[in-house]
Amino acid sequence: MNPYYFASIALILIGFYAILAKRNILKMLVGLSIMETGVNLLLISVGYVSGKSAPILTEGVTPNNAVDPIPQALVLTAIVIGVATTAMALSVVINLYEKYKTLNVEEIRRLRG
Amino acid sequence: MSQYASLLIALPLFGAFLIPVLKKVGKNLVMPFLVLVTLIQTGIAAWVFNEVYTSGKPIIIMAGGFKPPVGINLYIGYFAALFVLIVAVASFLMAVFSIKAVKVEPQDKYAMLFLLLMLGATGMIATGDIFNLFVFMEITAISAYALTAYNKTGEASEAALKYVVLGGIGSSFFLVGVALIYGSLGTLNMAHIAQLASMINPTVAKVGLALLIFGLAVEAELFPLNAWAPDAYQEAPHPITAVFSAFVVKASLYAIARILYIFSASEGWNSVLSLLIIMGTLTVVIGELSALRQTNVKRMIAYSSIAQVGLIAVGIALGTQKGLDASIFQMFNHAIVKLLMFLAVGYAALELGGPEMENFKGLGKRMPITAFGITLGAIAIIGIPLFNVFWSKMQLIIAALEAEKTGVVALILGASLVEMVYYVRLIHTIWFQGDGDKIRENSALALVMLLLIAFIILIGIYPQPFWDIMQKAGSDIFNVAEYIKNVPLVGVSP
Repeated sequence: MNPYYFASIALILIGFYAILAKRNILKMLVGLSIMETGVNLLLISVGYVSGKSAPILTEGVTPNNAVDPIPQALVLTAIVIGVATTAMALSVVINLYEKYKTLNVEEIRRLRG
Repeated sequence: MSQYASLLIALPLFGAFLIPVLKKVGKNLVMPFLVLVTLIQTGIAAWVFNEVYTSGKPIIIMAGGFKPPVGINLYIGYFAALFVLIVAVASFLMAVFSIKAVKVEPQDKYAMLFLLLMLGATGMIATGDIFNLFVFMEITAISAYALTAYNKTGEASEAALKYVVLGGIGSSFFLVGVALIYGSLGTLNMAHIAQLASMINPTVAKVGLALLIFGLAVEAELFPLNAWAPDAYQEAPHPITAVFSAFVVKASLYAIARILYIFSASEGWNSVLSLLIIMGTLTVVIGELSALRQTNVKRMIAYSSIAQVGLIAVGIALGTQKGLDASIFQMFNHAIVKLLMFLAVGYAALELGGPEMENFKGLGKRMPITAFGITLGAIAIIGIPLFNVFWSKMQLIIAALEAEKTGVVALILGASLVEMVYYVRLIHTIWFQGDGDKIRENSALALVMLLLIAFIILIGIYPQPFWDIMQKAGSDIFNVAEYIKNVPLVGVSP
């Protein structure tokens, strides 16, 4: 099996495990970031063509010997979105800590039913 | 001429960027500006709606003049034209409500996020590209996270955190699905995917489609991924709650329907349909049963809203033209009714100091028009004849019978029965308990409520013209061959 696919799926699963199993909110957010990294790696490796170079058309590089440029555009967008989500989540966590004085998800349960 | 329809995306974006500048000029200008932008958006959407339904042809907008599948295209057909109009009208009405309901600073950021939410929902409905759908979905989602946490109380942050974590997982799943489909077909354009769908490897189609549906199910509030919804509905500012229920959910459901049907030619499609039926059924059962034991009125209506979404998803998953028509009709009716109910409940909660059931005692004597709005919305949602939801539930039942899924019929009828129990309890509390002084109701909000009530009754008495529109909108999604033919794909052959 292609090692890139293996590594990216492994990263996604590690991140997913951290979100499900950890109780500290910050560790959950670290898991979310790892998961997003794994997804980005998967997207990039989908477009890789063995033995070809970066898709910047300079001297000596023609469209025939460049890798697929589309996943790179997708990943660029996805990275920015991931960072925005993380920033949003972190600002929520700051407010949450001020109000609840804890970061344990099992103690943050005022909303029920 | 029809390229001006791209203003549907450009205007809210421009408006949102103008707000920080406007705030420097004068703080009091921000909220009127929000109302103005949403009003202009409504005007453009009405023009687009008229254009599409009179010419019978979809408006295709090609970004930068690159033809699809090279460039990104927007596809505003029968369905998109209808729902873009709903998004715009709902935004306008809730912008009017926001003037009264949102006094917490910073108002300028609220207005900006509100416009971005509208932009994201419009984009999700109009786009014809699967990655562009993801980007618009994230615009909607991130504005929704921020707006959920807007009140800055501990509970609001808790609700927003649940939403962010689930939304993050959902968007990662969606992106993995996009990667699988791109890796298998080499295209991201929906029309092109639909053209190639019969050639895709059935396993990739099944896994990719299931991942895409799981990703969208977070926003669409389908069962395993909807735990954020009641909390967010309860803690978000009142206009935002109404907007969530009226169009954020609908945009995601539309995206689910569109993505599902562009793959209808692939093998293994039926197993994805049964997955969606199971998710929808569980959503209905859990939503209705949870609504039964709520003491917070806003949370109760939130659970009712989730249950209705389940019914719509089941209708989409029937896999027939009739089922799609019926669920689009249900989406349309549900948007109107829930707009009315969240507006009325939110307004009452503002005046009475909280949406707990206790506070609603004697509302009928204190705020008659608001109480009338809640009552009428409740009666309509149960599905009593002469109100709009009766017709859409009726059509759903007929569609389920034609598809020979008797379980779905039992589900719809059972859900209506449970709805009756908790809504009648609410109506009883409002009209027959408690007492209090009369509160003078805001005339603009009373007008909005009466307008929505009139609309509910109008559809209830004359459903036929609306049903005709819904059938056209349904064929827009169901008839994939027509969709492919309408998008001018350049330089590709299957």
